[in-house]
Amino acid sequence: MAFDFASRFEKLSGIVHRVGSEAAAAATIAQICQTSQAGCIALAGLSSTLVALIKEACEQTCPELSILTEPYAAADLPLAIDRADIGVTGISFAIAQSGTMVEVADNDALRLVSSLPRIHIGLLRAEDIIEHYHDSAGRIRATIADHPENLVLSFISGPSRTGDIELKLTLGVHGPEEAHCVIIDAAA
Amino acid sequence: MTSQRYTSLYQSIEAALEDHSKSDLLRGCMKRGRDTRAAALEELPGGVAFRGDVRAAKERCIEALPELKQRFIDNARKRGTIVYEARDGADAIAYCLNLARHRGARVIAKSKSLTTEEIDLNQPLIKAGIDVVETDLGELIIQLAGEKPFHLVFPSIHKMAPEVAEIFSRTTGQAVADDIPSIMKVVRTYLRPIFLKAEIGLTGANVGIAETGGICIETNEGNARLVSSLGSCHICLIGMEKIVETIEDALLMVLAHPVSASGQLPTNYVTWMHGRSPLGEGAAAEERESHIIILDNGRTAMRGDADMREALYCIRCGACMNICPTYGVVGGHTFGYIYPGPMGICWTAGVHGLERAGDFAQLCISCGLCKEICPAKINMPHMIAEIKHRDAAANGHLLVNRVMMGADRAARLGSATAPLANAVLASKPLRALLEKTIGLAAERTLPPFVASTFMRRFAKRPKPTFELIRNVVFFVDVYANYNNPDLGLAAVDALERLGCKVIVPNQEVSGYPYIAYGGMDQARRIARRNSSKLAPWVRRGYDVVAIEPTAAYALAVSYPVLTRGSEEARLLSEHTFELFEYLNRLEDETGQSPDPELLTGRRLGFHCACHQRPLGGGRGAVDWLRRRGAAVELIETGTCCGMGGTFGLKGGLLGYDLSQAVGQPLFDLFSASGVDAIVTESSVCSIQLAEGTAMRVYHPLELLNLV
Ligand code: SF4
Ligand code: SF4
Repeated sequence: MAFDFASRFEKLSGIVHRVGSEAAAAATIAQICQTSQAGCIALAGLSSTLVALIKEACEQTCPELSILTEPYAAADLPLAIDRADIGVTGISFAIAQSGTMVEVADNDALRLVSSLPRIHIGLLRAEDIIEHYHDSAGRIRATIADHPENLVLSFISGPSRTGDIELKLTLGVHGPEEAHCVIIDAAA
Repeated sequence: MTSQRYTSLYQSIEAALEDHSKSDLLRGCMKRGRDTRAAALEELPGGVAFRGDVRAAKERCIEALPELKQRFIDNARKRGTIVYEARDGADAIAYCLNLARHRGARVIAKSKSLTTEEIDLNQPLIKAGIDVVETDLGELIIQLAGEKPFHLVFPSIHKMAPEVAEIFSRTTGQAVADDIPSIMKVVRTYLRPIFLKAEIGLTGANVGIAETGGICIETNEGNARLVSSLGSCHICLIGMEKIVETIEDALLMVLAHPVSASGQLPTNYVTWMHGRSPLGEGAAAEERESHIIILDNGRTAMRGDADMREALYCIRCGACMNICPTYGVVGGHTFGYIYPGPMGICWTAGVHGLERAGDFAQLCISCGLCKEICPAKINMPHMIAEIKHRDAAANGHLLVNRVMMGADRAARLGSATAPLANAVLASKPLRALLEKTIGLAAERTLPPFVASTFMRRFAKRPKPTFELIRNVVFFVDVYANYNNPDLGLAAVDALERLGCKVIVPNQEVSGYPYIAYGGMDQARRIARRNSSKLAPWVRRGYDVVAIEPTAAYALAVSYPVLTRGSEEARLLSEHTFELFEYLNRLEDETGQSPDPELLTGRRLGFHCACHQRPLGGGRGAVDWLRRRGAAVELIETGTCCGMGGTFGLKGGLLGYDLSQAVGQPLFDLFSASGVDAIVTESSVCSIQLAEGTAMRVYHPLELLNLV
């Protein structure tokens, strides 16, 4: 299933990395920071363990990098996150058939982290991949029920794209021009 | 009604015919839309079957709309969203103005929303001193150019990169290179500060979900994500027909929309918003507001109108405009008011008034293709016929349309006075006069009338003897009766040779021209009469076989709607067949296979008449020819040949000229195809193709020298 998701996501111009552990995921993220010469990275919706691992990995590979983490002070937003070259967010689940990462946010700071920077990296666990598009209803329903008030689910299937000029596919007009998905799969 | 009303319509058609650079771009875009859709359907499990699901869901949700809307409102309010129900555009505008004033907004960032365009929301906001910026790239280009959208999904499709670069140079005051990546960088830097400083984000919504009180917004660019997450206030304007019952319904719409629009499954970004999220931590985080304005603006009335209700099933995918033949030539500025294309006629009538819809409804040539591509199977051809009908009740019919609706009576007269009538049809000066007086195109070579009609000859022929397998009612319609009885008799022979007892009981013409021009009283009368004349035969075990594709379509598809689902029409519809599909089935059942070498060596190009698409799609005739050894290629542009029944027989811009422009790409395909002849079952397509290509055009039966 991780394979199905990956091939679909890549068809949509996304980039997939399959890793065996959280530490390897952190290393991959640090790697992306290095190759893209990022000066600032913003994190949101990740476990404290992952945040620590990413910080550690980045300090080794790109010591100059500034790392923004939650909580984000309302007073600094949205400018604070607009500074970031890369945003990393936790992905709640994904749909293989459509190559879709589903991000769950009850604070819009998370949405800004995945939509303002030039590069977005979603962190996904292989066991959270659903095969069929229509089978996602149950998971969506449960998530919405868990949040009796505000909640935003975002389906993200690849980078920001447009065909508005001459029908030519162009990436990154508003949102990320690179969309990465790092899949943590113990079987990988 | 005089034709003065259409002066500006004529001018725009003329302009489009003179300069086809725009329509060439548009047609390229439409073809891309159709091709990507077709490719996506290959991948989608069940293929086109999703249309049945969409249709069923929409029927259910619109039926339950008042209750679902209330549930949606209650659930949205529970989540902290402020909901307002707006009666009409003015009401919604007043609400937005108040809100903007109250919040001291100076900049509003918008993401593409047709509903805000429907009520022309931008203008009053701008007048109030607010900077309203479209953020969807295509919409932004259009806004900066001061134009209206050319296509629903690709609003700026008529602008090439250099022109776009020029627009952004002017806007930003700096030189912009005319390659697309450079333009994108400029757009990104131009819009980013606007996103960041906008106090209000204004979006539409593709779906409202009653079950959860949430909305879904689809985009590819991600602008709606930014617009809805950055400001301190989000306003969503949603048409009430977008409300569905469940999450499953929402998932279905979120898939059906982009599959139909551009072959995506689903769009890059779908935002499912519930309530209003805080932004960051601290006091300011909680001050944000979320408003949903549910717009009526004529929708309740549409729902209560049996002939217009289906328009509410529209999910704004734009697929209908990707297939509409005349829209492809004249574009959305001419074929539309604010809503363009086929759905534009229906929605303009519903929300902007019958009169406005009537101004461009004449562009519809009633080919029926929009219905066949629509994900909700909306019967736009019927709705448009009804709109023409209501418009004519107020303003009268154009003379030429009255003439075309009376074509069956003219044919009867022509046959009764055959030598004279044919002399008239063959005389250039008289034809010029006819064009001037009644609007019949002088350019057309029309088939002559015969004095001895099919009906007369059929009644006189000796009764054949054979082993009886089936009982068949033969449906003749106009052409085979008054112009080509030999063809009708050849069809009867073919049926009889395969063991059919063929009868031709009392019947009327199919009456399709009445539908095409909005003569709905007469169309309904004919539908009822034919249904009650033929249904009794069906009850006695007869099948009905029609030789003319449009007649088969009228019986099978139009009559049940025209008679509001009468039992007789339904019976007739279920037992109506196209000739060749029926012949093939008989060949299979009787084991009487034809000589497989009869047509060996022939390379034929088949043209499928639009009205065949929902029936057999021409497969019957193609198979029948292939069984006889012919090499048959289906040659198609994916839309109409331009004849549109009798539309192309009318003279001038709203007839012959436009029909030629629609047909040209198909003529070119046939000419370049290397086939030795064209085959089509339609008597009118055949005139158009023969004239447009100068190639030989045959009915399949004619190829065997059976006629
Ligand atoms: S019936 Fe044909 S011509 Fe009329 S609106 Fe639909 S696609 Fe266009
Ligand atoms: S009428 Fe049908 S095809 Fe046309 S935009 Fe609406 S849903 Fe799409």
